[in-house]
Amino acid sequence: MLLNGVRKAAIATPGARGQDGAEPAMTFSLRDSLHLVADPANLDASVDEVFRLMLGVSCERAEGPLAPAPESVTAIVGFGGMLSGVCVFRCGADAAMKVAEHMTGMAFTMLDDTVKDGIGEVCNMLAGTWKGRVPELSARCGLSVPAVITGTDYILRVQAPEFQLNHFYRFQGIGFAVTIVCDGIQ
Amino acid sequence: MSEVRTLIVDDSSVMRKIVERALRQAGLDPLVVLEAGSSTEGLDVLKAQPVDLILSDINMPSMDGLEFLRQIRAQNLAPGVPVVMITTESSEEHVKQAIQAGAQGYIRKPFTAEQVKERVLPLLTVA
Repeated sequence: MLLNGVRKAAIATPGARGQDGAEPAMTFSLRDSLHLVADPANLDASVDEVFRLMLGVSCERAEGPLAPAPESVTAIVGFGGMLSGVCVFRCGADAAMKVAEHMTGMAFTMLDDTVKDGIGEVCNMLAGTWKGRVPELSARCGLSVPAVITGTDYILRVQAPEFQLNHFYRFQGIGFAVTIVCDGIQ
Repeated sequence: MSEVRTLIVDDSSVMRKIVERALRQAGLDPLVVLEAGSSTEGLDVLKAQPVDLILSDINMPSMDGLEFLRQIRAQNLAPGVPVVMITTESSEEHVKQAIQAGAQGYIRKPFTAEQVKERVLPLLTVA
């Protein structure tokens, strides 16, 4: 696990001991470290790790938006606790089947439950890996089980998020998008 | 190695297949896999038949993996059988909770077959 600046910042906080020298109650705010939590490089590294280890492929950042697809798949995993928000994975149906094929070694010709299940798991691992890159966030932020939506012509909109990362990626000619939306931070 | 009867508990059928594949790549052979899509199903399997190894997700709807593990210990199901948690949750706190609940191993998703081998095979040797 990476030890990044958030843990160092917590250790270096002035006034870490009370007047009697006893350990005070731990107070920690992610708000002071928002720039670390929102570092776009963490999302890129998380996508690379999940796709390399679980699908055996390398991804590269790409220009958005995604090419229009007759049907698309969106998986959502919620964050709760010190940070609230969602991790969203979006791709077209063909891309979803290709992702599931790499995960399972099986070929798919339709968006069946196994494909949706696979996309939900990818989103789950992306969310867990992303928050795991900030140790204090990892321990104080829970994940929901994945929800998967399929359909056409829908838009994800969050009102006034604290921050949002919206990245596009490509592997083997297939495009997908990963979005982190933070709508609350303590 | 004699037959290894392994229970894999995960609400994702894809993850159950991936874990099974990783176990086979890790050299667990012959391997008999029993699958459960929920903690409740997992408990039912353990009540019905013996296993040599249990691998469980943590983040599952209804009863999570930690409660599943506590139930195994509380009901004295599968005594002495090693339990390995496989999860996206990777903080020290989560690992500590799993160990306190009675887990012998912890694998973070995403994982490689090599990591599965390193964490699982020593447990079977000890058992």
